[in-house]
Amino acid sequence: MAERIERINLDRLVPILNWVAGIMVAISLLVIFFYAPTEITMGNVQRIFYFHVGSAWVAALAFFVALLSGIAYLRNPSRTWDTIAVGSVEIGLVFTSMTIISGSVWGRPAWNTWWIWSPRLTSITVLWLVYVAYFMLRGAIEDEEKRGRFSAVYVIAGFVTVIITFLSIRLLRDIHPVLIGESSAAAEGLQEFSGLDSTKMVISLNVSVLTFSVLYLAWLANRLRLQKMVDVAADLKTRVMTRLQQ
Amino acid sequence: MTTSEEIQVGDRETDVTAGDRSLSEKPSYFSAMWAIIWKDLTMERHTRQILSVMLFFSLTTVVVYNFALFGNLGAAREAATGFLWITILLAGTLGLNRSLMSEQENQSLDAVLIAPIDRSAIYLGKVISVTAFTLLVEAILVPVFTAFFNKPFWRPQVLFILILGTIGYVAAGVIVTSMTVQTRTRGVLLPVLLLPLTLPAVLAAAQVTAAFVSPVLPEWSEVQFAVALVVAYDVFMVTAGFLTYHYVVEE
Repeated sequence: MAERIERINLDRLVPILNWVAGIMVAISLLVIFFYAPTEITMGNVQRIFYFHVGSAWVAALAFFVALLSGIAYLRNPSRTWDTIAVGSVEIGLVFTSMTIISGSVWGRPAWNTWWIWSPRLTSITVLWLVYVAYFMLRGAIEDEEKRGRFSAVYVIAGFVTVIITFLSIRLLRDIHPVLIGESSAAAEGLQEFSGLDSTKMVISLNVSVLTFSVLYLAWLANRLRLQKMVDVAADLKTRVMTRLQQ
Repeated sequence: MTTSEEIQVGDRETDVTAGDRSLSEKPSYFSAMWAIIWKDLTMERHTRQILSVMLFFSLTTVVVYNFALFGNLGAAREAATGFLWITILLAGTLGLNRSLMSEQENQSLDAVLIAPIDRSAIYLGKVISVTAFTLLVEAILVPVFTAFFNKPFWRPQVLFILILGTIGYVAAGVIVTSMTVQTRTRGVLLPVLLLPLTLPAVLAAAQVTAAFVSPVLPEWSEVQFAVALVVAYDVFMVTAGFLTYHYVVEE
C-alpha cells in the first residue's frame, strides 16, 4: 500500500488536483451565494453554515486518515505513512481553526456572542490543543524513526479525544444546533435555526462538503510532493558536502 | 522477583533440555504485572519520593487558590470541584514524571525489557501503581477539601467518579510520559501533551463530581451519560496503551 502510494506521479497529479479543487471552490461559492435559498429566520448569516459544516467534516476526515496512517506506520514503518499522518494533522488543524472561526462569526448574530463555553465548543478547543501538541512532540524528538513511532502512538491516543468529542456533541445538552437527529436545545426553543428546510439547501451542503474533501486531497498531495522535494534537497546537500570534503 | 530466580535455577541445570524449557517458559502475565507493581510500591516505601512531592504540591496549590479568591467563601465553594480536579491533574503529572523518569535514569527499564514478558504487562503494572499513588493522594485531598470548602466530597458517588477519572487519566498519562521522558526536553513537555488529551474525560468527571457534591443529589439519569463517557474513555485509553505500549518502550 505504502509502495503503491509512493509510485503515484505527484508531479502530474498535483497540478490537476489543484485546478479541480480551485474550480470546485468557485462553483461552491456560487452555489452558496446564489443557488441556496435565504434562510427564513436567520437570513443571509446562515450561508456561513455551508462553510462551517464543510470544514468540520474535513477536519474529522483528516484526523481519521491520520489515525489510519498512524496504525499503518506502526505495522509497517515507512516514510510515506508518517508524511500522510503529518500532512493530515496539519490540514485537519487548519480546517478545525476554520470551523471555530466561521462558527464564531455565526455565533455573534445568532447567540449575540462570539464564544460560549458549551460542551461542543469546549471539546473542539480541546481537540485543537491535542493536535497542536502533536507538533510539539514531533519537535522534541530528533531521531526520525522514533519520531514517526511516537507520533503514530500519540495520534492513536489523540483519536480517543475525537471520539469522545463526537459522543459529547450527540448527547450532552447544548446550545449548538444539531444537524443530524433531534436537538435538545431546539426542543426547549433555545435557538431559532430551522435546519435544512429545502432540497436546495441539502444540495448546497453536499456540494460544499464534496468541495472541501477534494481540497483536502489536493493539499495532502501537495504536502506529499513537498516532503519528497525536501528529501531530494537533503540528499543532494549531503552529496555536495561529501564531495567538498574529499 | 521470583521469576528471575526461576530462570537462574533453570540455567544451572545440567540437563540442557530442561534448562531450555524453563528459559523458554514465560512468566505468567499476571506475575509479570504484579512484579512491576510490587517493585514500584517497594521503591516508594523506601524513598517516599513520589507521594511526598505529590502531596505537598497539592496542599500548596490549595493555599494558592485562596489567593485567587481573596477569601471569597461563596466563590471558593462554587469552584471547589474544579480546584480538586485541577489539583489532581497537576499532582498527577508530577507523579507520572517521577515514576517513569526513575525507570529512565537508572536504566531499570532496559533491564525490565530484557525479561521475556509482554510489554503490555509493564504498561498495566505502571498504570496500576501510579493510579494507586494518585488515589492515595486523593484519599488525603478529599478530607482536606471537605474541610476547607465545606462540601461533601466524601460521598461514595464522588469517590467512585474520582477513581474512574483517575484510571483514565493515568492510562493516558503512562503512554504520554513514557514518550516524553525519552524526548530532548524530558519532563517539560508532559503537561502540554497530557492535559488536552485527558480533558474530555476530566471535564465529564468534574461535571459528575459537581453534581454529587451539590446539596440536592442528582437523579442517575442526569449523570449517567457523563459517567458513561468517562468509562468509555477509560476503556479506549487502556486498550490503546495495551496495544501500542511496546512501540513506546522499544529501542
